[in-house]
Amino acid sequence: MLAMLAANPLAAGGVVSLNLCTDQWLVRLAPDRIAALTPLARDPSISAVAAGAAQFPMVRPDAEAVLRLKPDLVLVGAWGGLTTAAVLRARGVRVERIDDPQNFAGITATIAHIAEILGRPAQGLAINAAMQAALPQLRDASRQQVRAVIWQARGLTAGPGSLGDSVLRAAGYHNIGTGGTMSLEALITAQPDLVVVDEQPRFPSLATDLLRNPALQRLAVVALPPAWLTCGGPDAARAVARIARQ
Amino acid sequence: MKRLGVLLAVAMVVSLATGPAGFGMPDTWIFVQLRLPRTLLAAIIGAGLGISGAAMQGVLRNGLADPGLLGISGCAALGSVIVYYWGISAYFAPALPLGGMAGAMLGAFALMHLAGRRPSVASLILGGLMLSSLAAALLSLALTLAPNPFALAEISLWLMGGLEDRSLLHVALAVPPILAGIAVLWRLAPGIDALALGEATAASLGFPAAKSLVLCGVGVALAVGPGCAVAGGIGFVGLMVPHLLRPFFGARPGALLAPSCLLGAGLVVCADVAARGLPLLVPTAAEPRLGVITALLGAPVLIAIARRGNL
Repeated sequence: MLAMLAANPLAAGGVVSLNLCTDQWLVRLAPDRIAALTPLARDPSISAVAAGAAQFPMVRPDAEAVLRLKPDLVLVGAWGGLTTAAVLRARGVRVERIDDPQNFAGITATIAHIAEILGRPAQGLAINAAMQAALPQLRDASRQQVRAVIWQARGLTAGPGSLGDSVLRAAGYHNIGTGGTMSLEALITAQPDLVVVDEQPRFPSLATDLLRNPALQRLAVVALPPAWLTCGGPDAARAVARIARQ
Repeated sequence: MKRLGVLLAVAMVVSLATGPAGFGMPDTWIFVQLRLPRTLLAAIIGAGLGISGAAMQGVLRNGLADPGLLGISGCAALGSVIVYYWGISAYFAPALPLGGMAGAMLGAFALMHLAGRRPSVASLILGGLMLSSLAAALLSLALTLAPNPFALAEISLWLMGGLEDRSLLHVALAVPPILAGIAVLWRLAPGIDALALGEATAASLGFPAAKSLVLCGVGVALAVGPGCAVAGGIGFVGLMVPHLLRPFFGARPGALLAPSCLLGAGLVVCADVAARGLPLLVPTAAEPRLGVITALLGAPVLIAIARRGNL
């Protein structure tokens, strides 16, 4: 089935993505096949391809709206969209569920998998090669003693097994995050060597203002675009490269 | 009065010693940057709420008057939300308390218009109920339209206020206008006492009711608005404080203003200690909201007032 599709890249109805992460894969691997993306793809605070996504049509993750586009293929994410996917499948639309990988081995496999589905194995290989080149080669084991935490809106930390955890470990840090929230006072008491926060959004919220509390001044803080840690993809490797240099 | 001062001082010391890092003296940085602003804000916000409740109950001659119950806090939160989420206060920080004060001022004068100068219990409560429902609805609408995706999830933080992770900047923004509001209300004492003798007598003594009402509205807006802007709504303090004090300070309404200031401050500091202390005793994912604690304390007082028929 996959081989057939790869051999016969049809453009008739195109591909619809119903998930922010699959939006980004589609823009990177097969922009010419896009029928529609989610509105989230254009939001620079969560999408790493916001500028590139702006030119494509948008569709809400709603079965009726998607059916009108008569797509050949619908990509849905690991979570959510279950009812929409079921309706689409019942109407004979091909739906592919794409995992959101939480570590670099998973990201490599996902890139190859989705490139195959979209009939673009060469682009998949190129993105994988570029990502491997961007990941720093860690030879200095002593850095494993350096403690870091990803501290996001509302004080939420990246816990073991999460994408943020993989990014910290790939950059040579020991992650002290638990996956729950960490109060500002607990963070300052824990004294991590590095605190990774989201870059300031254009418009404020109490959740994101916490990351700019003046009490953080005495910790080493690095701000990353939140989109880099939203989806398991090449941007996670950019995040590693950025914090490993600190 | 002296005992109230001691209560406030003890509460503030306990507050400075309590936090997620544990009970006791933390390092200087945590003390100055986190616990000091929190304690100072709790005290000043509580003082503003306490004296506002006492002044409103005196001027309106109504034991149910309270900035939270009557929707003035909700209007203040609405004003703050508008300047905050659209990034105005990010460019000009004082816009935040100014937004709170503007909202509170509008709310206060809308309430006077709705309820009239000498409102019955029913008309005051109905006017306040309408105002607070409207403010909550508009608050939700404003947060729905706000450009930050986290905004809508933050409605509960504005309706039920809290003081976690506030900084010295918040202290600098909130304290001066609240002190100004307390000063305005403080000077109302003779006018309130005169009003207790009836409007005609008060006017003959040089305290016309309309003037006291306007001064009360302005003072409450200054004393409550900036607190809502930095902490969200903290209910029931203004309602319960004067009732708790009446048995000790007598029924002369003007005499309740100063002690209400102290007890309001002490009460909010204690409630905030409880909010921070609970996660130290019971493992919870997050602290309970300060506004939840004051509501848990205040609702039984409201029920007791209603049962006694002492409105």
